[in-house]
Amino acid sequence: MSFIEVENVSKTFKVSKRSAGIPGMIANMFVPKFEKKEAVRDISLSIEKGEMVGFIGPNGAGKSTTIKMLSGILCPDNGTINVNGYVPYKQRKDYVAGIGVVFGQKSQLQWDLPVIDSFELLRAIYRIPDDLYKKNLDRFVEMLDMGGFINQPVRQLSLGQRMRSDIVAALLHSPQIVFFDEPTIGVDIIGKETIRKFIKELNEQDDVTMLFTTHDMQDIEQTCKRIIIIDKGKIMYDGSLAEIRSKYGTTRQLIAEMNQDMEVASIKDIIIEKQDNRKYSFTFDNQVVDVNRLMHTILDTYNVKDVTVNEPEIESIIQKMYNGEV
Amino acid sequence: MKNDVIKLSATYTKMIFRSWFQYKVDAILRSLAVFMREATSIIVIYFTLTKFDSINGWNIYEMLLLFSLVYMTYGILIIFFTGLRDFGHTVRDGSFDRYILRPRGLLFQLIFANADWFAAVGHGGLGILLFVISAAKLGVVWTPLRVLYYVFAIIGGVLIQGAIFLFLATLNIYLLETNMLKEVFYWNMRKFSGYPMSIFHKAIQFVMTFIVPFAFVNYFPAQFILRKDDMAAYSEIFMYIAPFVGIVLYMLAYLFWRFSIKYYKSSGN
Repeated sequence: MSFIEVENVSKTFKVSKRSAGIPGMIANMFVPKFEKKEAVRDISLSIEKGEMVGFIGPNGAGKSTTIKMLSGILCPDNGTINVNGYVPYKQRKDYVAGIGVVFGQKSQLQWDLPVIDSFELLRAIYRIPDDLYKKNLDRFVEMLDMGGFINQPVRQLSLGQRMRSDIVAALLHSPQIVFFDEPTIGVDIIGKETIRKFIKELNEQDDVTMLFTTHDMQDIEQTCKRIIIIDKGKIMYDGSLAEIRSKYGTTRQLIAEMNQDMEVASIKDIIIEKQDNRKYSFTFDNQVVDVNRLMHTILDTYNVKDVTVNEPEIESIIQKMYNGEV
Repeated sequence: MKNDVIKLSATYTKMIFRSWFQYKVDAILRSLAVFMREATSIIVIYFTLTKFDSINGWNIYEMLLLFSLVYMTYGILIIFFTGLRDFGHTVRDGSFDRYILRPRGLLFQLIFANADWFAAVGHGGLGILLFVISAAKLGVVWTPLRVLYYVFAIIGGVLIQGAIFLFLATLNIYLLETNMLKEVFYWNMRKFSGYPMSIFHKAIQFVMTFIVPFAFVNYFPAQFILRKDDMAAYSEIFMYIAPFVGIVLYMLAYLFWRFSIKYYKSSGN
């Protein structure tokens, strides 16, 4: 059995339906109407120990609901969830002692107190032994460069600093599994970079299993090998990042910069665009055209200064998927 | 294990005090403001009542004894049950999800993470002041039995109101919003309980005795000392069981909570 095992899980919410206008409002008070919203429909997945999995999909796709079921906040209507031998919503206290959860939108730090005070509280809550606490704290503070603001009240921190503190807060008790729900939301590029690097290092060094949801495709591309795409409560794709690229994104673009101004003759199956007098783009399908051959042809024929091959952005592939093109 | 629980509750308490002392003046003013606000309403009632000799045989100091029990119990109540009083808010803003994610009892966290010490000083201080004044004016003789009875009656009074909060908090799990119910069944009953119950319509007396048993918070415990004539309308037993009603009620509310928490739905994003 895998480390995280989800089988045929569904979750439906009852949402009160509002009728329009004041008469509707009054009618609602006496006879509330409910609408069923299927947040997650029949999802199955399994994740091995130490894997890092990106969970993506548009707003309302069911990502947060899935994370909440996995972390034990919600219990599924149907199906079974088993994580590390626990049923999350049944053995709550034992289970949550071994997991960490970061909600990018909702801090768990004490707003008015220095960051370190929140950490002290967590130390008492999780009964973290002194030596482990000290070891983790020192290590994370150094990795995330937090020394400068750990004694500052949370309300004075920048968003990036707060997010780093929140990530450390979720990791102090050395969880085996960490769920990140949009851990980089609103953080600037440098901050994002620091967080991604940290997450990656932790996954590699400590063999921590990680699942994270994000809107930022860069997060996924730089950290996860495996992605799960979810839309309207269903899994649309579950596999490696490389595979989705080769399967759905076979379009490549080669850009060649010449040493001097020149014209380029047309090549079969390739769309050539002139970007300026010396720069040309060659767009092709890599299942039809062999990149090596094309490169040789270009290098042999022209006086080339520089060549780059662009892979398609995963974002555009997913966009295509949502639109039902693939 | 027990040691560990004490340590954690102490850490929570330390955090609450530290947070408050980030704004020292505000913290002190808060205690004072609560005291003044509540004292003002008592003063208004005091001057209104000096126009009458008594209400249903109760003079002003006997009524202040009723008020003092409401305030003393409320002062203790908000040290332990603020988290349950404001549970609806905790659920709606998603904070309750965080409690679920921590390996500690949910009620334990709700209780110790939300203690409102400064308002407690205001309410409790007023309660003690009123209690001392009224007991002195009434010339109450404090026998050991009476002292013991009052200690338990106050604890029982706290638990009765705690049970009401816990019950309403549990209803929140099903309804997501119970402020109106709290307004009707807690705050209104609390206002009634400042006066001798016998002046009200029978239906209200019934509610205050058997549905939202505020009568056991102050009316019956006050009767234990005062023995006013209007006690004849009720069974003597009510006076003696008053300290224990809270324990039973709280246990029932706790069972309801345990049963219902399985149905908790996170409010989502």
